[in-house]
Amino acid sequence: MSLLELFKWFDATPISQIIRNSTYIFPVVEVLHLFGLTLLLGTVTVVDLRILGVGMRRQSVSDLAGQLAPWSVGAAILAIVTGILLFLSEAMKCYGNAAFPYKMWFLLGGIILYFATQRKITSPTSRMGSGTLKAIAVLSLILWYGVAIAGRAIAFV
Amino acid sequence: MSIFEICQWIQESSIGTGIRESTYVFPLIEATHVIGLAMSVGTIAIVDLRLIGATLTKEPVTDVIEQLQPWTLWGFVVQFISGGFLFWSEAARLYPSYSYRAKFVFMFFLGINALLFHTTIYKSVDKWNGDVVTPFRARMAGWIGITFWAAVIFFGRWTAYNLK
Repeated sequence: MSLLELFKWFDATPISQIIRNSTYIFPVVEVLHLFGLTLLLGTVTVVDLRILGVGMRRQSVSDLAGQLAPWSVGAAILAIVTGILLFLSEAMKCYGNAAFPYKMWFLLGGIILYFATQRKITSPTSRMGSGTLKAIAVLSLILWYGVAIAGRAIAFV
Repeated sequence: MSIFEICQWIQESSIGTGIRESTYVFPLIEATHVIGLAMSVGTIAIVDLRLIGATLTKEPVTDVIEQLQPWTLWGFVVQFISGGFLFWSEAARLYPSYSYRAKFVFMFFLGINALLFHTTIYKSVDKWNGDVVTPFRARMAGWIGITFWAAVIFFGRWTAYNLK
């Protein structure tokens, strides 16, 4: 099955058709997608900037990262579930869209980085060097903001 | 001159027309406005979630509020400037929009909510600074913040669809 056939199949699912045939479902799902974005980027930014020493310095990195993690993960799940619904309703628009693959690669990178580093960041006894930690924070900011920027670009390219 | 005519004049000004018809400027401003949500509403949401006891409960309320406040304020600066340019380019379409008006009504009440919180219950924060369950009025301020900001995002996005 080629990628084109796969995208055509996504585009033709019953869910895709229900969303396309409704005036209101797409906007509502997109609003929920924005709620996810706000909370995910908000919490990730706070933790990453804390690691970079920019703010919230009265709290330790592990305390902050550990307590905000459920909200980052919850928001990511909300954004991904709603994102899949949005994708299904316009899969053929995403196919051939120059920004869409970038968004997906940034997203994949963000998820991998998060799960590869989260345990060490939230562990108070982690002996990860501060240079390594800062590099992770910068990369995390690039990847997650990359997802958001490439995502917004889908509508314009 | 009616308000609508003033909006038409704003929209048809050279800057308004320039933004609207530009291939890159309009998308860039809009992307900034969406991403600015993280810094503005994202950080406010963390404060509100602390007030309702849903996150950062090990941290004193004042630590969360005092340290996130500058980020929230800078986030607002980004949102008001980018939003201002978006309005400049589409004033005559936005002014009559019920969604757009609703967005500002909710922001007005959010301003009152923040003002009331800071001038009343927050004055006695020393008594409940470390509490997981904060006083009723503080929790109310948190819940109102969360739901009304959600409404601002909802009506903001809704405005773009031109639905009633």
